[in-house]
Amino acid sequence: MLATSNLTQTGGDDREAIAEGANPLGLEGVEFIEYATSKPLALGQVLESMGFRPVARHRSREVLLYRQGTINIIVNAHASGTELSEKPVISAIALRVRDAAAAYRRALDRGAWGVPTHVAVMELNIPAIHGVGASRIYFVDRHKVFSIYDVDFTPIPMVDQLPPAIAGLHFFGVVQYIGNDRTEDWTEFYRELLGFAELPPEQRFGILPKGRILRSPCPLASRFYIQLIEPEMGVLDVEDDEGLQRLGLGSADVLATVAELSKRGVEFVESGSVHSDVRGALTKTWLGSVSFEIVHNLRA
Amino acid sequence: MSHYSGNIDDFGMDTVSLTGSLEARLKAVQAAGFTQIMLTAKDLVDQPGGLDAAVALVRGSGLRITGFQVLRDFEGSSGRLHDYRIGIAKSMLAMCHALDCHLLLIRASSAKTANSDTRALVRDLRQLAVLAIPMNIKIAYTAGSEAHSVKEFSQAWDLVCQADMPNLGLGLDLFELLTSGAPESELEMLDPDKLFLVQLADAMGTPDAHFRVFPGEGEHSEALATLVKRLHGLGYRGAYSFAVFNDDYLQMPLTTVAQNARRAALWLGEDVLQRSVPLPNQIRLKRAMAA
Repeated sequence: MLATSNLTQTGGDDREAIAEGANPLGLEGVEFIEYATSKPLALGQVLESMGFRPVARHRSREVLLYRQGTINIIVNAHASGTELSEKPVISAIALRVRDAAAAYRRALDRGAWGVPTHVAVMELNIPAIHGVGASRIYFVDRHKVFSIYDVDFTPIPMVDQLPPAIAGLHFFGVVQYIGNDRTEDWTEFYRELLGFAELPPEQRFGILPKGRILRSPCPLASRFYIQLIEPEMGVLDVEDDEGLQRLGLGSADVLATVAELSKRGVEFVESGSVHSDVRGALTKTWLGSVSFEIVHNLRA
Repeated sequence: MSHYSGNIDDFGMDTVSLTGSLEARLKAVQAAGFTQIMLTAKDLVDQPGGLDAAVALVRGSGLRITGFQVLRDFEGSSGRLHDYRIGIAKSMLAMCHALDCHLLLIRASSAKTANSDTRALVRDLRQLAVLAIPMNIKIAYTAGSEAHSVKEFSQAWDLVCQADMPNLGLGLDLFELLTSGAPESELEMLDPDKLFLVQLADAMGTPDAHFRVFPGEGEHSEALATLVKRLHGLGYRGAYSFAVFNDDYLQMPLTTVAQNARRAALWLGEDVLQRSVPLPNQIRLKRAMAA
């Protein structure tokens, strides 16, 4: 078990690498993932087949909250100024931190681009920085006392507000597609701003081992990963296609989860190189852009 | 590219050598056979029709953008001034991004108030590098004789190494090296992968009043050729940009100036680096030696 206290950088890092334990923002997992799409109902159906339930809707905007177990997904169809794509895109990750304002200030001091609050898509006054592509990284610190959703969302009547997760699914990570030769840049971005650390190449999860994996500095129970994947060799000029590509969901028993989801109509990729096994599975892609990876993971 | 047309792909002109509208300058550079050009923020801002019109012109020209310049007096400030500098840097990065340009040049601060404490400079350079990462922009940090403390490239290199960011590297102005008397043997310490841009100009005039001319036109051509060969030997394969600001050129026809630049590029490409002579294993061998 790692120390959950938050070691501050002491300037002694030229003498010893404090690889584990450093968690400068007091990061404690992901509060929600946000998708943006002009077809929220279609994405809602996908999420429901994956075991999510709509539990609340935004008071004034076309924004829905889906949930299963500890995973919250916000589907945002509220276009403010920009045209939303029909293909859903992962538009934000909200991180639980000790002190959102302090986390935001620290990120700006180290080179993050702040998102002005008046253009924030939701009414929540959540500090946010720009992430990859057009995505944002929110900092949320109210997860322990009361929920951020209490303020801006109305629960959908007669719906269980805490629907259990299918086969113990929990948030495991997110896959980010990046341009050629961009692995070091993005590794440094997440290390410098959020305290992520890269895993050695031999440490891999699931069935899609490509690229580099960064580990969040969270305590074990809320730890998650970012996987950076460059284009295949020889593919040129995709540098503008950087973005968050898919979510990884953790499961203690991948094959049981696959069986359960299959019953709900979810199809999995079963091709020569990619097929469901005890380490992981990959759903087929819905709506041209949405897929989920199931990864074997025991959450403490 | 045929031998006849000359192999000058690695060399680019800089808009500071030319006068006139942006459109006319881009056309002159392209007509002289260049494939890339170094742009200055002012080129875009001055354009009638504004930034969008300038970006459209540059994109339409088909020229590659060697780099975008120049962020000045950035590092070493504190408090409100630092916030102000960050605002300027963000504006430069946004323009650079709008151009699809992947290199921003920063000259070492010449502000008298600038902090020369290494830790403060390193912290600021790191912050700039992080700002540039989402836009896929590299930062080339360049020393200069006008700077407050970072006057020689070896000092800039030291800060780049300490900042240790993947997208932060060195910009090298060979004119400074020619005229400052800094020992060129120090070039050997550079990692060619962290050398993001080399700017070139030949020098004319007296030691205390040098001015810039195109490579091969000045009084230091041989020394310049030696430096370029040395960088090539180190393994540098990036762009060479002609950083030639010269008031005389600004009252000459664009085509004349561009032809002078072309002559300089052919001299460097064919006579100095012998680019048109195929030496298939040359690159790999020199890489191995550098390692």
